[in-house]
Amino acid sequence: MKNDGIKEPIQKKWIWLLLLLIVLAIVPWYFPESAVEPFVFGFPLWAFLSTVFTLVLSAYLSWLCLKQWNIVEDEEEAERAEEAQR
Amino acid sequence: MKLTFAGMDGIIILSAFAVIMLVIGYLSGRGEKNLHHSLSGYYLAGRNLGFIALFFTLYATQYSGNTIVGYAPSAYRTGFSWLQSISFMTIIIGVYLLFAPRLYVVAKRKKFITPTDWLEFRFKSKAVTLLSIFLMLWGLGNYLLEQLVAIGQAVAGMTGGTIPYQIAVIAFVLVMLAYEWMGGMKAVAFTDVMQGIILMVGIFVFLIGALYLVGGNFSEVTNYIQQSEPAKVAVPPAETSINWLSMLVLVGLGASIYPHAVQRIYSAQSERTLKKSFARMAWMPPITTGLVFVIGIVGLMLFPNLDTGGSEQLVGLMANKIAAIHPIYYWMMIIFFGGIVAAILSTADSVLLSFSSMLSNDVYGKFINPNASEHKKVMVGKVGGIVAIFGLLIIAWNPPGTLYQIFVLKFELLVQVFPAFVLGLYWKKMSAKPVFLGMLIGAALSGYLTLTGHKTVYGIHGGVIGLMANFAVCVLGTIFAKATAKSALKEEDVSVLELKA
Repeated sequence: MKNDGIKEPIQKKWIWLLLLLIVLAIVPWYFPESAVEPFVFGFPLWAFLSTVFTLVLSAYLSWLCLKQWNIVEDEEEAERAEEAQR
Repeated sequence: MKLTFAGMDGIIILSAFAVIMLVIGYLSGRGEKNLHHSLSGYYLAGRNLGFIALFFTLYATQYSGNTIVGYAPSAYRTGFSWLQSISFMTIIIGVYLLFAPRLYVVAKRKKFITPTDWLEFRFKSKAVTLLSIFLMLWGLGNYLLEQLVAIGQAVAGMTGGTIPYQIAVIAFVLVMLAYEWMGGMKAVAFTDVMQGIILMVGIFVFLIGALYLVGGNFSEVTNYIQQSEPAKVAVPPAETSINWLSMLVLVGLGASIYPHAVQRIYSAQSERTLKKSFARMAWMPPITTGLVFVIGIVGLMLFPNLDTGGSEQLVGLMANKIAAIHPIYYWMMIIFFGGIVAAILSTADSVLLSFSSMLSNDVYGKFINPNASEHKKVMVGKVGGIVAIFGLLIIAWNPPGTLYQIFVLKFELLVQVFPAFVLGLYWKKMSAKPVFLGMLIGAALSGYLTLTGHKTVYGIHGGVIGLMANFAVCVLGTIFAKATAKSALKEEDVSVLELKA
């Protein structure tokens, strides 16, 4: 499907690849058993790193919503502006 | 949970909350003549929810009282690997991005009311429509039941048994039915604004109180746990990681296509309000389930060695202790418990509304009396919802044990609608027969696994295994049946799906 000028997340592979990588960093499958210490802000090391990646996920998804999604917004906002003028 | 500190004060706060909700419901419905004569007016707030209402209704609906009362004990029992609750609530937004942008546009153009409208438009198959209605109503009914049980436990606990379980449920169900009757989705969304704010404030105050009790030092808590129960801070074993990943799939896919969640996409005033709301929602898990996680971990130091049943009372136990710090905390804890009740109501009301809309639009409007006026359809849904609630109440009088287990159960069948719902949006060759078979096999498999006690296999949830089978049948079936099957889509349908004007 080709529609110029619109942004839809499903059409961009890198979005989903990056999402998968972040998820794989959140799930703590790759830590050695020793990754408990040091404690960082009271979190065991593995839990701290997992939480950091969880926050990265929030930031990433939030950014995607705002910047990589634009299908009918311009059209709708133009209509609303027109209605407001009337 | 049993709270000894509240009693009469709790009744006063709860009554005040109830009155405010009724007033909001009354104001939302006042002067709206169209509200009760139009399906989209009543069930989708006229497709005109602005940013604040949309954000809070997404928030308060997604996070229920269980998010606190059930998740703090989960953190207590599982330790740091319960951090998964932040990521599995966040990933829901990622799954929305798979389908919400296009579904929003298609739903506006084709004027969908329920998720079933989309499936009917896409597959034009009675079998697919009926099976998906069944799965979604089943999931919603179970979810609603869970909320009803939770309301009773929260209120009875908070008032120290002054208001018994049954009376608590009936009273709050009546309040909910009344404001929903008056204002439909608009009332649900506006009460969600109030309910969501109380929930957020409540969690913060509770966390501050809990940290105060352990001397404000979270590191000491972790040190203590490492001494007493090292498994709870250790790097999780492989099976826990697999389970974590499985939970991300199950909750992400399941929660994003909850009928009431989908209807919030339909209700958005514009694409801009929808994406702004989702962008904010992506940040809510750290400050909701994340803080509740910390509360549960602190509980390990305050009340060590509770068994499963005992840990379910954790929030009540902690609230008692926090309330004893100072009179200000006492009142804050009462407001906090009111917040839990508000959070449960804000989820229950949305689920009920969605349930009613499917009775109105899908069961009655598609199969029983398609020619009925919209006013009549709305009435059927409202009355049907009330009948369903009282049916569920009879079951709620014998509440099941651990709250969290019911939470996983309801997803297993509901999530089977996902392949049809999302693949259908992009894969025009996908045909009804494999979709129906996939849904049926997926539902049967996950139902079977769950009922035979195989809730997880090597850490993977039965619902996820059923879903994999479902996807396989949908995809392989469509590929192999391609030669014989004719697409259900007309040319004009295709152009709507391809977002052409």
